[in-house]
Amino acid sequence: MGEAIVITSGKGGVGKTTSTANLGTALALQGKKVCLIDTDIGLRNLDVILGLENRIIYDLIDVLEGRCKIHQALVKDKRFEDKLFLLPAAQTADKNDVNPEQMKELIEGMKADYDFIIIDCPAGIEQGYKNAVAGADRAIVITTPEISAVRDADRIIGLLELEENLEAPKLIINRIRPHLMEAGDALDVNEITTHLSIDLLGIVPDDERVISSSNKGEPVVMDPSNPAALGYRNIARRLLGESVPLMTMDKPKPGMFGKLKSIFSSK
Amino acid sequence: MKAQVTGFLKNIVNIKGTNKGLLIQLNDMASYTEILDELKKKVSDPALEGDAEVQVQLANRHYSKAQLEEIKKVIHDNSKMKVIGTKCDVVTVEECNRMISERQSETYVGIVRSGQVIKAKGDLVVIGDVNQNGRIEAGGNVYVLGRLKGFAHAGASGNKEAVIAASWLEATHLKIADELETMTDELDSLSEQPEMECAYLHTSGKIIIDRLQELRFLRPQISTFKGGS
Repeated sequence: MGEAIVITSGKGGVGKTTSTANLGTALALQGKKVCLIDTDIGLRNLDVILGLENRIIYDLIDVLEGRCKIHQALVKDKRFEDKLFLLPAAQTADKNDVNPEQMKELIEGMKADYDFIIIDCPAGIEQGYKNAVAGADRAIVITTPEISAVRDADRIIGLLELEENLEAPKLIINRIRPHLMEAGDALDVNEITTHLSIDLLGIVPDDERVISSSNKGEPVVMDPSNPAALGYRNIARRLLGESVPLMTMDKPKPGMFGKLKSIFSSK
Repeated sequence: MKAQVTGFLKNIVNIKGTNKGLLIQLNDMASYTEILDELKKKVSDPALEGDAEVQVQLANRHYSKAQLEEIKKVIHDNSKMKVIGTKCDVVTVEECNRMISERQSETYVGIVRSGQVIKAKGDLVVIGDVNQNGRIEAGGNVYVLGRLKGFAHAGASGNKEAVIAASWLEATHLKIADELETMTDELDSLSEQPEMECAYLHTSGKIIIDRLQELRFLRPQISTFKGGS
């Protein structure tokens, strides 16, 4: 019996979809069977980041309205034999065409076939959010070290805590720039976690190659030498129950910093 | 004072001078119509001159709002006196319940997050932080055992004596009764380390922030603890 995890943030543009793609891929790399569900109906992106755009035939709405079977709509990622699947969102409908009960039923029916079902939530706290959260067993909140993102994360955590079927939400701090944190120009990891007072699942450094790899349709996590990839891989291992120490970034050792620098300068 | 106004009053209506002004005492054993008649007679006495301010003592009897208006009208129509207040020794069950709920203290354990509103009729104790855009509201005082970073409203039903106290007071907005203060940088009373502070409504009508230690002098009535060694 698998576990359904919703990835949410409140604010847009903090990396929900990128994190969904990367965590899903990281879990598939660990040999788990994963299905990613894009619930951002009308503004779907997850397929693009995974490089699966051209393979979509049916979508979430087709499944919910009975126009096809689930297995017909699922897009298999051929890079991971039978490990990673995507249920794409519809682009021609909108969020009000789905209701939370339908999502709950759908996800409940899929849990038996997967180890993890990862639900990519749209930005906002309206219908799309409600649909995304309905079927989840636990939630991961993504924020960045910006006050606006942390404010919205606070709001979303408040809403998640009201959901009875949900475990206490966990936090990922994305797009960390060590030099800004060190200079005190960005909120640091400690400040954010004490403010939000929920468990920290992991941190992901900001890296240009997250963008370039998203554009190529290859999640960055596939490149084991990339620091952001390491962040995502660590989070995936923690999701699997391993205890992995937090990446050291707030007090970067010269070695670590040097490594980062050499990665940047080599390209 | 109370002892004077009892059912043993000989007169139906008594007018007394005290150091705080005139006092009209109504006998609670007499019938309402008797009181009105007698009151009319007494206040229209030409011996009473001047536009004095009077208090009306109602003793152990409940008058409806309409009746109170009628009593005031009789006084205002037949004399130059002005009724500045009434004092009654009995309360209705409804009033009593309201007073009890306003005196009670409710406790919330947890974080009041952005967009959440916590309300209490009486005092409110929050054990945890109140984050930005979170709102706490109380008919009485507000106490936060944690960081108050959001919006706090004390004395929401009009109590100007209510206070807001917090282990760490860095709210964005403070409101006491109807007075709102935005905690902008221009405010001189903001401290660098807003630890253990309280906010209260000064007689000037402005919200003032002071050290929590001053609370026992500013609002001694908050302490309900009697005795001790």
